[in-house]
Amino acid sequence: MKRVYNIAIVGVGGQGLLTLGSILGESAIHAGLDVAVAEVHGMSQRGGSVIVYVRIGEEPSPLIPIGGADLMISMELLEAARYTQYLNKNSILVTNDFIWPPPLAKYPSRETIITALREKIPELYIYDANKVSSEITGSIISANIALLGFSLGVNEELRNLIGLENVVKALEETFRGRVLELNKKLLYKSFEDGVKIAEEKRSTR
Amino acid sequence: MLLGNEAIARAALEAGICVATAYPGTPSTEIMEALAEVGEQCGVYVEWSVNEKTAFEVAYAAAISGLRSITSMKHVGLNVAADILMSSAYAGVENGFVVVSADDPSMHSSQNEQDNRWYGLLAHLPVIEPSNAREAYKFTKLAFELSTQYKIPVILRTTTRISHTRMPILLEDDIPTQRNCKGQFKFDTSRWVLVPGNARRRKLELMKTWSAIRENEGREPLVTIFNPGIEKAIIAGGIAYSYVREALDILGYRDKVTLVKVNLPVPLPLKPVKQVLEYSSEVLVVEELDPIVEMQVKDIALTSGFKGRIIGKELVPVNYELNLETVYNAVSKFLGLETTSEKIWSSVEQVRTDPPIPPRPPVLCAGCPHRETFYILKIAATKAGLKTPVYTGDIGCYTLGFQKPFETQSTCFEMGGSIGVASGLAKVVSNPVIAVIGDSTFFHAGIPPAINAVYNDSNIVVVVLDNMTTAMTGHQPHPGTGVSATGKQTTRILPEKVLEAVGYKVYVINPMRVKESIEIVAKAFEEYRKGVKIAIVSRMKCALEVARIARRAKIVLPVYTIIQDKCTGCMACINLTACPAIMVEPGAKKPRILGELCVGCGLCASICPYKAIEIANTPSPDYEKIWVEL
Ligand SMILES: Cc1ncc(C[n+]2csc(CCOP(=O)(O)OP(=O)(O)O)c2C)c(N)n1
Repeated sequence: MKRVYNIAIVGVGGQGLLTLGSILGESAIHAGLDVAVAEVHGMSQRGGSVIVYVRIGEEPSPLIPIGGADLMISMELLEAARYTQYLNKNSILVTNDFIWPPPLAKYPSRETIITALREKIPELYIYDANKVSSEITGSIISANIALLGFSLGVNEELRNLIGLENVVKALEETFRGRVLELNKKLLYKSFEDGVKIAEEKRSTR
Repeated sequence: MLLGNEAIARAALEAGICVATAYPGTPSTEIMEALAEVGEQCGVYVEWSVNEKTAFEVAYAAAISGLRSITSMKHVGLNVAADILMSSAYAGVENGFVVVSADDPSMHSSQNEQDNRWYGLLAHLPVIEPSNAREAYKFTKLAFELSTQYKIPVILRTTTRISHTRMPILLEDDIPTQRNCKGQFKFDTSRWVLVPGNARRRKLELMKTWSAIRENEGREPLVTIFNPGIEKAIIAGGIAYSYVREALDILGYRDKVTLVKVNLPVPLPLKPVKQVLEYSSEVLVVEELDPIVEMQVKDIALTSGFKGRIIGKELVPVNYELNLETVYNAVSKFLGLETTSEKIWSSVEQVRTDPPIPPRPPVLCAGCPHRETFYILKIAATKAGLKTPVYTGDIGCYTLGFQKPFETQSTCFEMGGSIGVASGLAKVVSNPVIAVIGDSTFFHAGIPPAINAVYNDSNIVVVVLDNMTTAMTGHQPHPGTGVSATGKQTTRILPEKVLEAVGYKVYVINPMRVKESIEIVAKAFEEYRKGVKIAIVSRMKCALEVARIARRAKIVLPVYTIIQDKCTGCMACINLTACPAIMVEPGAKKPRILGELCVGCGLCASICPYKAIEIANTPSPDYEKIWVEL
């Protein structure tokens, strides 16, 4: 195991980044690991660009260094592109297939962004988490959980580190009742999607 | 797993507090939010006070009556409470009193990044600073002990990365179930009445305590020395220690330097520093923001005849928060190593696109009432012939109105500043002057300057944006909501009543009714031109609250849609509202509303010149009520 496993979660304030960070943190604890989750509160939660740092390892300091992320989970394409400096050539990037432009801004198209990302990051996975979330829960609000499931699916290192069963435990502490059931279903579905995609990618190599 | 702030709250409960007070402010807010949730059940009195000065006073009152208490605030909040802070040092306490100052290096959510350890030096009060979120728990308890022992307030200083980081924390103690929270005020004018004669005596007492702490508290865990006796030593305070430790681990130098962990930066204890200076000849001091520890180390070095080298801010940035890279580079250089952070973490760097990735500053939420009010103010000002009005601004979500297309915040300095600065501007410039202030901010620091403007006959308009909550910091109640920190009904104080009482002619508007409000405000502006003291209270609930209430009560809010046949692509809806729920796809000629984000405020529909924006669903009949009623 690496000394510290670094996960950067990026997106737009209000997209459920804090919940995702906290679920990852709780999962790590269930796996018997120390962890630090550095959140962003206040101003930038008002639709601003947000990065949450999850560091799993022994007594980690709170921030991920530039180039130090092992995995980045992005809730939005522009934000994925904005934070690529946190990645190195071995990092995995999992991004939601969703563009949410800032009001009144000029911005690059989906294709432009994806081409640019692909050039730098061999391990790039694009997943329509909004769609999967809508299909299962009826709203895009659980896209964060879909991206988590998918990331566990494509990323064996993360899966071995925290374990799917511990993520389920963390979900059980975070949600209740019907919301919990839907989120679990979503987690499994997106996890399977991830496993499948990773296999396909491996066999085409 | 607890947030650093939650750890502080938990520790305070374990330490046996009876009173907890605060005014919200990032990054301190969650301390009181956690206490408000469980306080009552634990027998602790909890309040959101109107401002930090009052919060301090309320908690201090408990501490001089023999009860433990805590007050928490963001760094700039301590400026507001600084007057009583200074006096409280002189008069002291009868039981543990902890003042939490949550600083915000890098200004994630603040107007400055002042280092509040200075307040310890200024007031001669000890400052305790944890090195990570987990330690916030332990050191809060220690702060209570220190305060109880020395009978003075203790400042617990955190920073954003301590307050807002979650870590697993092993709880050591239970929360006491029995708590005697009956305070006793012991009459003692020589102590509680700081007339000059008494203050002079108390000052000497305070300085005795200050020296005693400096002499005696150089003990673990306040100061910890690892590997003493090595030539090179690194002294690291607060969060900086976490980065130094990790950097040394990566460098493989953990055992090859003397490492001093400082959690009592003020006053810096003499003994451990002297001990280190005896053996080590090269010392690096690593700390975030100002060289508070460095300065004291140099002072001790000078008086003890140290001949070596002390390095600090030459290698460690003085601006913004530290991170692993900056500390790694400083430590590496200090150790004479070649390696730099770029060599171990080789970034692929930011991707380049054409057009470039646009910045994403925070914006007013979809449905935000401030958007409606700003639109109304601008149109009404034009209608009433107000030429280039200066909108003095204030602190809150509405500060975002400084941006296009609103530009209804021309200044923003500190809480309450909008009205005071307006008062002054009206005396020196010929523009119309309109002070725009949030409701919570109005109660915090807006009332004295509102009185000042009337008393000194400053010709201004005061606009209170009453969204029935303290939105920016996460929706705390305030006097205008008539609800206490623990959710109890209390007296509701309306800004219009206050403003009327001090001499304003007040108009209350419902900004959801855009056209009607424009009429009222335009008329009010005309009266203002004739010299009438005008105040406008714009009352409409925060959209995030509305969405939450609607979800819980199963009330269906309208969702608007743009009828593509009627839309001409004039873009008025998006250009005049900058609403994040309206977007134009690349290459598209007409905008589109994102149904998931629209909460149905209806501003875009009332602006559309072609009536092309319509309700797409069947909203509940009374939905408007939740926008405008408590
Ligand atoms: C002295 C001080 N205390 C606290 C804060 C943190 N703070 C920033 S804005 C704000 C309150 C804003 O509430 P309100 O005026 O109601 O405006 P809203 O955000 O609801 O629009 C607070 C408490 C601060 N900046 N300065």
